[in-house]
Amino acid sequence: MNAELKLFALGTVGVTFVLAALLVTVYGAETGRVLQALAMRTPLLLSGSPDFSRFEGGFAANIVISVWAMMIAAVAGTALGIGMISQSVLVRAPSVLLMNVLRNSPWLVVLYAMLYLLPFEIEAFGTIFSFSPVIKAIIGLALPVTANIAEVFRGGVEAVPTGQWESARSLGYRRLQILRRVVVPQAIQFMTPNLMTTYAMLFIGTSLVVVTGANDILSVARTVIASDGAHYATAIYLYVLFLFFLFCFPIAILTRWLEQRVRVRQ
Amino acid sequence: MTLDFSWLLDPLYQTWLLRGIGTTILLSLLGMVLMFVIGIVGAALLHLKVRFLQSPVTIFVELFRNTPPLVQLFFLYFMLSEIGLTLTDPVTGGRIPLFTGFTCVVLSLGLYNGAIAVEIIRSGLLAVPAQTVEGARSLGYSRLQTFRHVELPIGLRMSIPPMTSNIVSLIKTSSQAVLVAVADIMYGATQIMLETFRNLEVMLLIWVIYLAIASLAVLVVRRIAAAFRIPGYGS
Repeated sequence: MNAELKLFALGTVGVTFVLAALLVTVYGAETGRVLQALAMRTPLLLSGSPDFSRFEGGFAANIVISVWAMMIAAVAGTALGIGMISQSVLVRAPSVLLMNVLRNSPWLVVLYAMLYLLPFEIEAFGTIFSFSPVIKAIIGLALPVTANIAEVFRGGVEAVPTGQWESARSLGYRRLQILRRVVVPQAIQFMTPNLMTTYAMLFIGTSLVVVTGANDILSVARTVIASDGAHYATAIYLYVLFLFFLFCFPIAILTRWLEQRVRVRQ
Repeated sequence: MTLDFSWLLDPLYQTWLLRGIGTTILLSLLGMVLMFVIGIVGAALLHLKVRFLQSPVTIFVELFRNTPPLVQLFFLYFMLSEIGLTLTDPVTGGRIPLFTGFTCVVLSLGLYNGAIAVEIIRSGLLAVPAQTVEGARSLGYSRLQTFRHVELPIGLRMSIPPMTSNIVSLIKTSSQAVLVAVADIMYGATQIMLETFRNLEVMLLIWVIYLAIASLAVLVVRRIAAAFRIPGYGS
């Protein structure tokens, strides 16, 4: 853990210093006033409300969207991953194709496509489900991440020695039972670091939901810039960069530490 | 729901799309060049343990890897215009911005994917067998010569599989160019959508085009990897 802690300290202090230096370079003597303006807008950027009364916009919205998208993608990705290691070609070939298509599509294009592909609302079981921009954003982000998770799942399962499959088979387990009771519990340790990397990537990707009209941090930032003046744009984007860094960097460090631990254990 | 692709016959829309494809490919190629320059230089500085430069490189890599390329792009776009770097146009004599949206996109693609490339190339360098490096040293190669003639050529070959996905990621990320009004495929698509209201059809076509470009890139990388393969080294 020591090397990771050192890297964490270096990264956090270093990046804070670099961003602060950039701010001073751009604004010079005005830095104090700009910082004051940033402090005043902090509640709005973080929670979407001017006084932290509600948490439904800004950075909080990014976190909520990423968590939902990750949960949906985890379920769908596992299903796709199981399809990809199926013994039947009829299941395996389409699964692999779908994974490749989803993995190679730009997130921005998928988000736009979801914007137009999903209806405004659908009626099912007597109730009307409406697709708000947030829900469209969640689905649009979950689709490409599904492919990544399926790939992680397949990689993790293939890292488990085949002897495990054969011995469970000789004990009379069926394929899905082996997967659930023998292989996946052992594969989880290989998957966890990659899943965390996937989540960090997804979180970075939530910056794109600004195009769907969800009230995420970038659309709040744009509103703030529109009301306070384009002069503040650099400062606000620096601030947004810093927020994303503070959220993603610890995940990256933790991932590295876990990877190290898995490698040592083997 | 019926899909109507008759707008594709319009020669104007075809020109927009083709120009957009050209711009996207140019953006991606320039971004890749910058990515490789940053990746190789950064990885070399870290690998050779250059004093006083290791920490700045690490900070650079962590900053650009852990923040969204879109925010980096907006930041570059606004900061560079705020500083107001301009140069005089030799033809008209007017002041034009030194960094256009196009340049900013290339920079942001190169910085974000370059930061990832540093890590990829570095782990490629670490995968070079120690015996090979020791062998080169015992033949009288200096530390720098060993790096240049032995470690880097093998390390780059080792890093091909993760680099392929990084290149695909760069091509995918280049679609952000539309958000700073660079006329790439997405830009052409939004123009067509504004005129025809065939939003879904246009987006589906753009999706297919991006898939084709990404698959083409993967094929090209595979050919390059096969051409540079060292017989008996790796699979």
